[in-house]
Amino acid sequence: MADTQTADIRALLGGGSDEDRIAATHFIVGAIFLVVGGLLQLLALFAVRFGDLFPVSFGRIEPAANLLLMIGFAAVSLFGGVYYVLPRLTGTHLERRSFAGLGLAGMSGLSVLGVLAIFFGFGDGSQPLGLPWWLDVPLALVLFLPALVTISTIRNRTEERSFVTLWFVIGGVTWLPLLYVAYLVTELPWVSSVTYAYAEVFFSAGFVTMFLITVGSGLVYYTMVKELDVPLASRQLALVGFWSLGFAAGWWGAAQLLFGPGPTWVAGVAAALGLAWPIGALANAANVSLSLDGAWDEVGEKPAVLSGVLGLYLAVGVGIVAALAGFRSVGSVTSLTSFWEAIEYVAITGVGTLLVSSVVFGALPRVLGRELETVAKARRFQRLTIAGSVGLLISLGAAGILSGFSWIAGSNSGTYVDAGEGWGAGLGATYDTLVLIALIFGAVLFLGVVGYASIVLGTLARGRAIPQEVLVDKVSDDE
Amino acid sequence: MSDLATAAAAMGLPEALVERSVHARAAATGASVDDLLTEWSGGDAAPVATPPPAAEDEPAATPAETPPAPQSTPEAPAEIVVDVPQQPSPASVAAATGPYKPPVLVGARDNPMTVLAGVVGLFFIVVMVAIVGPSIPVDSPGARSSDLPYSEAALEGKGVFQSIGCAACHTQMVRPVVADVGLGAVTLNDSNQVLGARRFGPDLSDVGSRLTSAQLEATVSGLGDHPSLTLGPEDLDDLVSYLSESVTSVASAAEEAES
Repeated sequence: MADTQTADIRALLGGGSDEDRIAATHFIVGAIFLVVGGLLQLLALFAVRFGDLFPVSFGRIEPAANLLLMIGFAAVSLFGGVYYVLPRLTGTHLERRSFAGLGLAGMSGLSVLGVLAIFFGFGDGSQPLGLPWWLDVPLALVLFLPALVTISTIRNRTEERSFVTLWFVIGGVTWLPLLYVAYLVTELPWVSSVTYAYAEVFFSAGFVTMFLITVGSGLVYYTMVKELDVPLASRQLALVGFWSLGFAAGWWGAAQLLFGPGPTWVAGVAAALGLAWPIGALANAANVSLSLDGAWDEVGEKPAVLSGVLGLYLAVGVGIVAALAGFRSVGSVTSLTSFWEAIEYVAITGVGTLLVSSVVFGALPRVLGRELETVAKARRFQRLTIAGSVGLLISLGAAGILSGFSWIAGSNSGTYVDAGEGWGAGLGATYDTLVLIALIFGAVLFLGVVGYASIVLGTLARGRAIPQEVLVDKVSDDE
Repeated sequence: MSDLATAAAAMGLPEALVERSVHARAAATGASVDDLLTEWSGGDAAPVATPPPAAEDEPAATPAETPPAPQSTPEAPAEIVVDVPQQPSPASVAAATGPYKPPVLVGARDNPMTVLAGVVGLFFIVVMVAIVGPSIPVDSPGARSSDLPYSEAALEGKGVFQSIGCAACHTQMVRPVVADVGLGAVTLNDSNQVLGARRFGPDLSDVGSRLTSAQLEATVSGLGDHPSLTLGPEDLDDLVSYLSESVTSVASAAEEAES
């Protein structure tokens, strides 16, 4: 039986159009990286709470987890979604398909190599990925490949009208490699530490808002319309969502360096433009909600749409919290604390998984000819992801606020006693308890992540055969 | 020519699609792949096997519950038109069974390349403001670690500090806020230190004036709550040198005295 299934899976991935095979492979590879990255992320939280439990320290586990989640999971999965929607929106076949395959191989291979390099001490300590230059540069080049595929395909489009998803796709796939090139500043030995730090936070923030949420929102628009056959409520609202997320929202990262050695005007600009994250996310969430007016009863039966709605609203919530922390009064307490760790954790793993699952749940049955396995499992995944994300945001965020108040009350220097200084020593049992609670919610979130991967792989292996959507050349009316 | 190739030629479909379809059909009907391919090539009809007892986790093997995969419907291959390069007609999407009902994916007649130009242009503006702008030095009182006379070992130690990810937990950034009182002189933007953005452990800007080399070595090796870093003796010495020589407040005081 196992052999038959293996042969069947091979036949599934080998069948269909090139575009669909490429998209399906991206989804599957992304799901595997999500599980491994999610596990590392949970171990990193363990290291924060319990310290010396693992042979590898937090400083190495965290960038490794970030690499697997940001590149191995989010970028790979979202590019898969892009390759899925592009032919369907442009009316032409995917151009430069070999680049798409090369991009997948490059991102996957460099992610694995990167983790090994970090664990064996070859990383450069830059946040969030910590890759040495000899992996950073190839990764930057590889990230341009999906952009080339996308732009080449759009240039050859036969569909004259462009659905809003195309904007989000163009923006996201173009901004990601450009963000990475800007991030390469951290490889230049002569840059000042301020430039270094701003390049780091700009990449982290830009990845979340200019790529992950931007492309994810665009794909949710497509999935919603495709699944429920409802028209988009407002093209203008989508326009607001796109430009807010893409152009201005990348600024929320600079708020992490509030009161730092950069010029003071940066903090003011960052606080103002950081509001673009919740504004952009809310515009998209509201647009989707308005579009679903009258169709809400069906949303519960469509895991793809429900995931998209949940992901968009979770993005709004995380965005509001991040934007608030950009103001000086709040930032004086939250700056440099685990508060920001909570935001990045939930934004990438929570929001990212929900948005990715939206397009994957919608696309998988169409590209594999297999029914999604199963609606009940999808609901469980959604519940776990939301519960884990919200709980983790609150508990780890609260731990950060507590740290900030402790530092203000007693000064961080007050914790320096003997050689056993630091690591939460002066923050008290409450801090430790909050991190422990965050750890529990992190485990819940990880269960959600495993649930998502189980659905993707289960659909491939055991999903019921259903009509597959086949890309064909349109036969003209005359024929 | 193999059965697969013959069937694909007879149906006018790519081999990959036929292969995928025949497996789905075989799983659904219990017939063998070879028999189906023979049938699809124009031979005798494939005998349909008696379906095995249904297994709940393998619905594909249960014909009564499984609608036949449409792409495996050899009776109507004419409905499927795949990739006809000599006809550069607009491509579309169609389910292989039944008429295709397009979704409401109505867009406007705008030019995506204009969006692309805006995307690229605005990105460069953002980078100028977000990275280049903040990099311009500001003349204000504080510690200039770039003026510190780091030893060669300490500079090597900075590399160790970065490669093992110390900055994931430790900042080297003293800010002019109440929370940072006592950590040393305020860090300026010409600093050579690794600023960091998280402070799970204490700030290390001025740690050299608070702890001795022996204390630093003990801490890095796992004393107290600090995790034990598995470093070779040379890397350990370099790291301790770097931390020992991180004494920004002394540098600042000396600088102020000079001025």
